[in-house]
Amino acid sequence: MTSTIEMSTVAVHSDAVLAEPRIRVRGLDFFYGANQALKSINVDFPDRQVTGMIGPSGCGKSTLLRVMNRMYDLYPGQRAVGEVLLDGANILAPGVDLNQLRSRIGMVFQKPTPFPMSIYENIAFGVNLHERLSKAQMDERVEWSLSRAALWDEVKDRLTASAMGLSGGQQQRLCIARTIAVRPEVILLDEPTSALDPISTLKIEELIDELKQDFTIVIVTHNMQQAARCADQVAFFYLGELVEVDTATQMFTAPKQRRTQEYITGRFG
Amino acid sequence: MSQSLSGGELKQARPLVRPLVRSSRSSSWGDAVFAGLAKTAGLLVLVLLGAIIASLFIGGWPSFRAFGLSFLVTADWDPVQDMFGGAVPIYGTLVTAVLAIVMAVPLAFGIAFYLTELAPGWFRRPVGTAIELLAAVPSIIYGMWGFYMIVPFMAEWVQPPLIDALGDIPVLGALFAGPPFGTGIFTAALILAVMILPFIASTMRDVFLTVPAVFKESAYGVGCTTWEVMRSIVVPYTRVSVVGGIMLGLGRALGETMAVTFVIGNTNRLSTSLFGPGNTIASIVALEFPESQAGSLKLSSLLALGFVLFVISFVVLACSRMLLQPGRKA
Amino acid sequence: MSGVVSAMTGPRRDPAVADRLSRRRRRMNRLVKGLCTGATLVGLVFLGLILGTLLWLGFGGLHWSVFTEATKPPGSHGGLLNAIVGSLIQTLIGTAVGTPVGIMVGTYLSEYAAGTRLGDAVRFVSDVLLSAPSILIGLFVYQVLVSPFGAFSGIAGGLALAVIVVPIVVRTTEDMLRLIPVELREAAVALGAPKWKSIVLVCYPAARDGIATGVLLAVARIAGETAPLLFTSLGNLNWSISLTRPMSSLPVTIYQYAGSAFEDWVQLAWVGALLITLGVLALNIVARVLLRPRR
Repeated sequence: MTSTIEMSTVAVHSDAVLAEPRIRVRGLDFFYGANQALKSINVDFPDRQVTGMIGPSGCGKSTLLRVMNRMYDLYPGQRAVGEVLLDGANILAPGVDLNQLRSRIGMVFQKPTPFPMSIYENIAFGVNLHERLSKAQMDERVEWSLSRAALWDEVKDRLTASAMGLSGGQQQRLCIARTIAVRPEVILLDEPTSALDPISTLKIEELIDELKQDFTIVIVTHNMQQAARCADQVAFFYLGELVEVDTATQMFTAPKQRRTQEYITGRFG
Repeated sequence: MSQSLSGGELKQARPLVRPLVRSSRSSSWGDAVFAGLAKTAGLLVLVLLGAIIASLFIGGWPSFRAFGLSFLVTADWDPVQDMFGGAVPIYGTLVTAVLAIVMAVPLAFGIAFYLTELAPGWFRRPVGTAIELLAAVPSIIYGMWGFYMIVPFMAEWVQPPLIDALGDIPVLGALFAGPPFGTGIFTAALILAVMILPFIASTMRDVFLTVPAVFKESAYGVGCTTWEVMRSIVVPYTRVSVVGGIMLGLGRALGETMAVTFVIGNTNRLSTSLFGPGNTIASIVALEFPESQAGSLKLSSLLALGFVLFVISFVVLACSRMLLQPGRKA
Repeated sequence: MSGVVSAMTGPRRDPAVADRLSRRRRRMNRLVKGLCTGATLVGLVFLGLILGTLLWLGFGGLHWSVFTEATKPPGSHGGLLNAIVGSLIQTLIGTAVGTPVGIMVGTYLSEYAAGTRLGDAVRFVSDVLLSAPSILIGLFVYQVLVSPFGAFSGIAGGLALAVIVVPIVVRTTEDMLRLIPVELREAAVALGAPKWKSIVLVCYPAARDGIATGVLLAVARIAGETAPLLFTSLGNLNWSISLTRPMSSLPVTIYQYAGSAFEDWVQLAWVGALLITLGVLALNIVARVLLRPRR
């Protein structure tokens, strides 16, 4: 199950065969004003598997993530051209209900972003945006999502306490719980562990492994080991281009491109 | 992790199926309504300014029409003859405000310097708070306190010796001539100075604190004393904002009513002496407005003075605002 | 610094010159430090003098009747009840009307109009109104509300105060909303929240303490305002809480009483001055504590 390449100690965790794609990106260009940040990207994200996106800072991996839930719409001057197909429907098309889209494609950020309210309310906030639940149903949903995020045991006695009082790792798991409580199909993770200590990082990685049974997961990471540990498919970006995408095993044992090989063995980046 | 979960709960993992394109636009409605409210509120502020200017100008129009531009330079204020000129209060407004600035700025600079560089760390917060509390005291309190405390003090201890010492000197003496009533332009300026002192001091302190520590450290590094760091690094770096802070104080002093009304002496004759009584625009409006008939030329003249005051303060405050704009470098 | 240049060692300091210069510089430094410390003392002494006078003269006249009796003619042991109630009513109107408008304007500036010309104009005008002479606000409200209806009224006084509240609340609301990290807004949007919900349900709670501080400071400011009430609510020596009739207020009563020739009125003016000052200072201190970062 675990294999290594001679140039590094990267341990690849998954040898899964890639599933049917859930999201297809076709001919995607992205612009910050006049600056092109992504150049004709074509990539598929397999259903209920983890895709890791790697590459040096500014390579466009986070930009692609922010296209997939149209977060860039918040900022005038940013625009995307091309197609991003979720179950065959182009989410870049005009007329897409962004709030619905974002309820189907959840996102977890680099820094934990607990809202200034109680732990319970943090979860209920997102759910209330899309569903009308009774108190009992909501209680159940909160417990379910916190359990799925491996946080329930730690917070079940203080659900009404402020979420700001949690540790960084707990806050990040709360944000994951908040995201899955909305019951999305896809979860985007933007360097979710870069602000966390190693033990919290490990917990989140275990969690990702657990969550992929139910959710299609896309994770941006700076950490090669993390990509190897978590991802089934890995995509390497460089200067706004997708250099190579393949199964994690293939990428970390026999990358086809020289640039990929140089990057994952730490020669640049 | 999730061993405790029953199969029934796990079923929730199946996502809700939600259409991407919805026919109803209820969520964008909420956004449109809220954005509309916010923009309306923003526009309301502009309308408010326009309405203030317009109402004062329209109210003052009969007076402007009757007296023309000479309204600004004639000193007559004669309700019996229906002759009105704004020179005395306009002069009083400018002189009291400028005198107040002259007295307050050095003190404010000292306080700001003390609070940013000299005071021991634990002492800065309480002293800074005390200075800011001085700014929070309502102006009527300053007026009343000035009337009952400063006026007798001036009449007893300050004015007689100054009049004796300086009153006979030609030219200069004219500024200090007259009976020592205790009230008058100088007393009003003094109280204004006390009032605006905390405003200027805390603005200066805030801008002094924006100087990056590395600048100051490198000056100390070549052997500068605290005062030299202040003079050659902090003040040049913050010069523009400091002037902005002073203009802010000037703007406050120009329009202050209650602190002045009690002690200015309320007369509409032009006095050369700083100890003589006078009027400011704000004080004459406060004092004479209640005695004016609706629709009278006097009322209109007061509104016209209000318009003049608004224009002066607007210019001063606009300058202050531009100089204090964050991100602007000295 | 002057020095003697030696071929071997490069420039060298003349110790005598350096010493003289250093002593002069240190003397100058001490002098300026002394003057600045003195300036701070002067400021503190003024605060002490004002508070001391108020406590000395105000406490002397403090009596239950101040809170139970309305203002009465001189010599008949009146109180300040109608003035206190009138001040509370008008301050309440001013805050209740001015706060929501101020919060919406602040929200507009921070969330909708960042970088736009209209936003810059609104911010500029609001900042100018923040320091505009309050007596002119009184004249303005007289012109648009009192003169057309032919009656001074409590509601006109309250609205004049509201005009003063708006720019204060705008300033703090915008500043506080801008302090909220962009990630927090994005996190709300990423859950599918429409913009207005992310503002109302996430940003406002996050900025709650700051906005509350602004409102408290606004209340403190208008509670002591006299000039805008002179031509709007006018003052009323009789008991009246009708919003459409002239209404008493503490600052205007102080103004009328302090300038009078009757000893008991002047005494009551001091009591009123003490009450207002303590109230305003207390509000300021509470606001400061609120804004102090927690943990």
